[in-house]
This record gives sequence, structure tokens and C-alpha cells, in this order.
Amino acid sequence: MRKTKFVAIVLLLALFIPFLQGCGPKATGENGQGKEPEKPTEIHIGVYEPMTGASASGGQMTWEGIQLANEMHPEVLGQTVRLHLEDNKTDKTEAANAVTRLIDQKNVVAIIGSYGSSLSIAGGEVAKNKEIPVVGCSPTNPLVTQDNPYYFRVCFIDPFQGKVMAKYASENLNAKTAVIIRNVQDDYAVGLANYFKEAFIQLTGDDKCVLAELEYNTGDQDFTAQLTQTASLAPDVVFAPGNYGDSALMIRQARSLKITAPFLGGDTWEAPEFIEIGGVDVEGATLSTHYSVQATGTDASKAFVDAYKAKYNKEPNAFAALGYDAYLMILDAIKRANSAEPAAIRDALAGTKDFKGVTGTITMDENRDANKSAVILQVKDGAFQYLTTVEPF
Amino acid sequence: MSRHLKRDLVILVCVALVVAWANGDLKDLLGIPGWQSYAVRIINMCAINAVLALSLNLVNGFTGQFSLGHAGFMALGAYTTALLTMDMAAKDRVFFMTPLVEPLRNLTLPFLPALVLAGIVAGLFSLLVGVPALRLRGDYLGIATLGFAEIIRLIIQNVRKVTNGALGLKGIPPVVNLWWTLGSAFVCYLMLRNFLASSYGRAFKSIRENETAAQAMGIDLFKHKLLSFFISSFWAGVGGGLLASLLTTIDPVQFKFPLTFQVLLTVVLGGMGSLSGSIIAAGIVTYLMEFLRVVEETHYWGSITIPGIPGLRMVIFSLALVVVVVWYPKGLMGDRELTVAGIKGVLGRVRQRLRIKGGRPA
Repeated sequence: MRKTKFVAIVLLLALFIPFLQGCGPKATGENGQGKEPEKPTEIHIGVYEPMTGASASGGQMTWEGIQLANEMHPEVLGQTVRLHLEDNKTDKTEAANAVTRLIDQKNVVAIIGSYGSSLSIAGGEVAKNKEIPVVGCSPTNPLVTQDNPYYFRVCFIDPFQGKVMAKYASENLNAKTAVIIRNVQDDYAVGLANYFKEAFIQLTGDDKCVLAELEYNTGDQDFTAQLTQTASLAPDVVFAPGNYGDSALMIRQARSLKITAPFLGGDTWEAPEFIEIGGVDVEGATLSTHYSVQATGTDASKAFVDAYKAKYNKEPNAFAALGYDAYLMILDAIKRANSAEPAAIRDALAGTKDFKGVTGTITMDENRDANKSAVILQVKDGAFQYLTTVEPF
Repeated sequence: MSRHLKRDLVILVCVALVVAWANGDLKDLLGIPGWQSYAVRIINMCAINAVLALSLNLVNGFTGQFSLGHAGFMALGAYTTALLTMDMAAKDRVFFMTPLVEPLRNLTLPFLPALVLAGIVAGLFSLLVGVPALRLRGDYLGIATLGFAEIIRLIIQNVRKVTNGALGLKGIPPVVNLWWTLGSAFVCYLMLRNFLASSYGRAFKSIRENETAAQAMGIDLFKHKLLSFFISSFWAGVGGGLLASLLTTIDPVQFKFPLTFQVLLTVVLGGMGSLSGSIIAAGIVTYLMEFLRVVEETHYWGSITIPGIPGLRMVIFSLALVVVVVWYPKGLMGDRELTVAGIKGVLGRVRQRLRIKGGRPA
């Protein structure tokens, strides 16, 4: 009995082997000069996003935006665009595997992704070797596009976001001093805090305007130590970039410790959970982000908002809008290049100028980063309210 | 004996030829293209996971010490390899916020010494934790080693001058190919197999079976546990180094506890105390996770579109695990090994049974 089971298992596993071998050569053939020239009716675009794991909510929102864009614009150059989604499980190894699979087995000509800068860096290395262009939706770390001529993005980068908040603090709030509380485990928070500090020192002209840089770790529940120190320093503002859950909890505790200074943060705060957790205490919290429904003026963005509400029955947030823009920017590049060859798409993407996206007008700079405006939101009456738009400076 | 040696050599040469083919080395010589990079990547991951599973099996399966610190040692190996192989220009680009400390900034080594050093660094740290922690037994040792791995990760996260903190590293030279990964797995397997056949290996197993009895037989428990821990961590470091070079980018978040758990899962699936089981399980787990992507993908069949369900492969994978645990509580191989003689025996018995069945009606 044991033996038959063993044989059964071995046979079952043996069944899997032909799949790998069968997939291999066949797909290579297609990738070469086999089928592609004969049947140019479809263009394949890959998507790799964290659909499961720690960043799942971000990946899913982005995917919604991409899907919507594909439904509204399913064709380019008279060919149908096919989307292929691979989950990267919020894991670097999986991200690299996913991109390899998209390129080798799905024959994609361009890729969209990924939420999370470290995932994008891992995937980008593969795409660079394979010379397939990638458009990132929301990876804001400067390292993502560095040394990678095949990686582009539709979002602004952390240095700009840091500068925007520093400018807002010093010009709109007249702040002279600040305390930074950041999550040391989060590359995004560390980067943003660093750029905020640089810009704030420059704007105030005072080397000591940042009174303290305090740190915490992901999953911390108690911020009393950092907040007591903050209270004793009495800064004009507190800059606390981090994930929405941790930050909301921190602001609640700050208010109970009678800290009245306004809290400033970045685009990761923009989640309904931020207000759910924070309640009345996060009223007045201010953040910079990519996009706001209330700020939109162009026809394209109105069409997007209406279509999104009709399809998903909720308000679109920045990540969905960025996914939408990434898809349309690739389509725009294919149109301008008049070709669906990866090399031609890459060159066209690099030349993107004044692309009218939902999240703003996008121009690619020499580092393949988007040069575009940021939006400042504030929590008011239990909702994110649009305050102002900051143009690149 | 000489007959076996000849047989082993023939097998080795055949395998080497296939690896050369897969790796694309025959392209220039004979014009035969290498395998698809996706297949090569999966084989690379299989080999790296095999190294990790083998090394964890030495401590958990053969010596019977419940260690959960693998991710920490991998992180040490990965960072050592990365910092030693990146050139100065690449380091300067990555460390744009806090510059790298001086001796490390200028230091660039070839891959092999860097990889060996990665193993040694991980091994030395294992002694550091092993000396106090190996006095503990069972669950307590597990908790202590788990804590140690987290400490390593937190240190990496905070010592920005050396590790670039949460921003991680990018642009690690992609030296690793099939020769490196399969070669490391092969050397690791050979070393552990021969080691386990030696008196040390027998001492390890006796410690696993009964510590008190082993001690009564004159085995120095502490020395042997520490040795087992050192070798295990050495290979964990090498595995981490290989992973770093394969991905060309690492960050501290990668080396959280779930990574240890993934390796432990492979070990348990293959069988605690079976080297070949670990290798087989590493292959199955790695391949299955990629193969199951089929169920998550959208399929376009002409005008028909079948949407995929993200996350479904984890469900199927867990179900497969449940099946294995129910049928094979000791893992696929238990504590047995897969040998040429064993395969011949099974085939012979199958043939015999078929002959009997075929013979009966006549």
C-alpha cells in the first residue's frame, strides 16, 4: 500500500515535468521569428503587482485602474491589447520571477508595475537584461530608475514629495521648527524624511530647524517615548511619513498627550483606514499625494472618475489613477512609435512630453522620472479634502 | 568500487553537458542556444533552495536541534557578498544618502572569495549565538535563534553606514549562473553526505536520538552541536550570497521570519533527516509555486476570456501540503535516502510484480 502511494506520487510529479519542457522551446520559438509576424492582431502588456502579501491593497487598487484603462481603450494600432497579470506576493524573488515569466512566456512588449519600490528594483533588473520597457505606477524611490534605461514611472519621486511638504510647512504654516518621526524599516519613510529635512533647512535657512529625528519600527503599537520627546521640544510641525495604520495610531496617541502641532505625511496615508483608525484625532492631518478627485479639471480625468465609479462603485484613489495613467502612457508611446517593438516603445516613452494623464501633465526627465505636480490633501470632517496643487519647482 | 567510480563519472559528465547546454555555453562552440531564461531562473532557485534546505536539515533533521535563525544567517551572507562584490562606483550610487564606511567602499573582491567569506561571516555569527543558545533545548532554542535572526535584521536596518538601511542595495554584479548555483548545491550535498557518514555525523544522529545517552557514550554535546550549527550557518550564508547575486538587489525586509519558515517547510516536506528529501522538496516547492501561476493568470482563448484568481495558487499549495502531511507524516522521504541501488530495487520489484500479474492469466 505504501509503495503504490509512493509510485502514485512519483507519477503525479512526473506529469508536471513535460509542462516545463513543453513551455520552454515553444515559447522561445514564438518569441523569435516563429509566429509573431504572421499574427499581429494582439499586443501583450504585462502587469506585475503585489496582489497578495503585505502590500496587497496597493497592488489591487493599481490593478483596478489598469483594468479600467484597458476596458476603455482596448485597442492600439488596430490591434487588441491583452493584459497579463502576475502576482509578486510582495516578495522580491517572486517579483523577479514574475517579470521573467511575463517576458519569456507571455511575450509582452511592455510591463506595468509595481507597487513598492524594492519590488520594482528586483523586477527592473530582469527587464533591463531583456530590454523590455517597464512603466512603474507608484514606486517613488529614486533608486528604481537609476542606471536602468528601461524603467520609467508616472509618479513623482520622494525628493520632490519631501520638498513639497517642506515648502507647505514653511510657507503655508509658517513653521520654523519641525520634528521628524519616521519608520526606520520603511525605505519610503526614510527617504522622504531625509528629503524633507534637506528642503526644510534650505527654506528656513536654519541648520537646527529639525529639532529631532525620532525612529520607530513597523508594527510598533506604542509611540509614547517618541511623542513625549516631541511634546517637550514643542515643534511647529511634526513630519511623520509611514504607513497609514502606524501613523494613525501615532497621531491618536499624540493628541492624547496634548501635542497640538499639525502632523504632515506622504501619499501612503491616503487610505480609508487612516481615517477609520484615527477618527477625530487625525482631523487636520495633511499629506502630499499624486492625485485628488476634487482637483481634476481635464476631460480625461472626469471620464476616468465617472467610469471608475460606475465600474467599482467607489471613489478612485491615487494608485488606481496612476495605474490608469501608466497603461495609457504605454499606449501613447506605441501610437507615437507606430510600432509594438519593445525598443521602439522604450524610445517613445523616453520622449514622452506633456502627456495629459489623469494625475497631471507628465513629462519624462532625463532620469526617466515623471516631472509633474503634487496635490496636498487634508483630513476634514472625516474625509480627505483637496487643499492645493504644487507645481514642480 | 572502480565500477561505481566509472558510473559516477559518466553521470557527472552527462549532467555537466546538460548544464552547459542549459546555461548557453554550447552556443558559441556548437551553435546550440541555451534554455529559456525562465526555466534557467527556476532551476537556479531550485538549487539555491536546495542549499538552504540541506543546511537547515543538518541542524533540525540530523542533530535534532530546533533552529529558526536561518533567515538571519542568509541575510549576513547576502550582505557580505553584496558589499564585497559591488564596485566603488555602484556603491557610491546606491549609498547616496549615508556614505559607506571607508574600507568597505574601496574593497571589491572576485565572486568566489566573497561567497566563501559570506559563509564564514555567517558561520562566525552562528558561534556567537550558538555559545549561549545551544545550552537550551527544544522550543527554547527555537525561540532564541528566532530572536537572534530578528536582531540581525534590525541591526542591518539601522546601521545605515554599512548596509544602507531600509533602502537596501541595488546593482550587485549578476555573476551567478547555473554552474554556481548547481555547483554550490552539489558541493554542499557531497560535503554533508560525507560528513554525516563520518564519526561526527554519527555523533549528531546520536544527539538527535537521545542526548543523555549520547553524553553517556562520551560525546561532547556542546562541541558537536556548535559544529553542526556552524556548518549549517556557513551554507545558509552561501545560499544568501547566491540569492543576492541572482536578484542583484537585497533589502532587510526580505529576510523576515517567513523566509526561515519557507525553508523549514521544504525540510519538513522532504523529510527531517534526509538529504535527498531536502533536494527533492526544494525542487518540488520551487517548481510548483511557479507552475501554479497558471491558475492566477487571465487566459485569452480567441474571444473567450477566462479571468485568473490572484492568490489561488497559495490555496492549492496549502492543500497539497495537507495531503502530504496526512499521507506522509514524516515527509516525502522520511529519514531514508534516494540511492541508485534503491531506485534499482524499486524498479526491480515493480517489474517482478508486473511479471507475476502478466503471468497469472496464462
